[in-house]
Amino acid sequence: MAIDTRSSTSAGGAEEAPGGGRSPRPPSPEADVGTKDIPGRLVPEMTASPNTTREGDVRFEAEALPFIDDVYRFALSLTRDAADADDIVQETFLRAYRSWHTFQPGSDARRWLFTITRNVFLRARERERRHVDLEDGDVEAASTFATHGQMVRDGADQILSRVDLAPALRRALDELDEPFKSAVLLVDLEDQSYEAASQILGVPIGTVRSRLFRGRRILQDKLITYARDAGFTTAQRGQRGTKDD
Amino acid sequence: MTDCKEGIDCRTAVQQLWDYLDDELTPERMSEVRVHLERCRTCLPHHDYARVFLAALSSARDSDARAPEALRRRVMDSLRAAGLNT
Repeated sequence: MAIDTRSSTSAGGAEEAPGGGRSPRPPSPEADVGTKDIPGRLVPEMTASPNTTREGDVRFEAEALPFIDDVYRFALSLTRDAADADDIVQETFLRAYRSWHTFQPGSDARRWLFTITRNVFLRARERERRHVDLEDGDVEAASTFATHGQMVRDGADQILSRVDLAPALRRALDELDEPFKSAVLLVDLEDQSYEAASQILGVPIGTVRSRLFRGRRILQDKLITYARDAGFTTAQRGQRGTKDD
Repeated sequence: MTDCKEGIDCRTAVQQLWDYLDDELTPERMSEVRVHLERCRTCLPHHDYARVFLAALSSARDSDARAPEALRRRVMDSLRAAGLNT
């Protein structure tokens, strides 16, 4: 994964913003990182930061480093590639260390690290990013439950209570495109509030909401396909019989 | 859409169902949605379905994922090279 941090200055990866509330931004995790990119791998420049102090270093080790498992899990969910995740984790902690002086004591270090992680990830795949026209969150919410209606009509809703969906949902999450994937990962798997996700993603809460609801709807559409393949729909029942037949 | 006559209507309830389940509404609106769900036979199944879906999604988190030891060493090495002194 090629990671280019040379021209990055914003915390966000903000693109489309169809309205919604705005939240105060966390301190910028984008201080000068001092990295250089070579094809395929990220090689950090090993120069000391002028902004670090012994006391700051001790605090960094105590308050930021314990979240390395959380950062790794988030990076791995985003990339689905262990080597890429390793690169992102290393880059995340280097950036965090170099901009530690901007971190406000007492604020949420995990959230701050997630912000950096997502920015590193986005920079790494900036050219691949898909710009998506987003609908209003309310429309997304309503269409989600239209999907539920379809599941009930098909008999696919049985799958919710009869099958361990976690493996199917992990596969569906792997296939979910950005920017929906990050919203779902942060809110549904990492228990972040809409406001926290908005700060991490650098977009308004309304955008988080619409991305989240769209992501959930896409996952549910994938579950319908999964249910159909597993023989849980009336269509299948009519054609080939069900697992109960 | 339903026979509910009081409080918020089904359209509003459905539009805010995710927000309700995510505990992202004001206390007043949380109460309005809750009251609607208690009375509405159309919206309650949507609520139950969404709750099961979110529980399944939450369980999809790979809680056992831990940063490999080699990565921890790599991160610490790079931080020390960048000046970390503890």
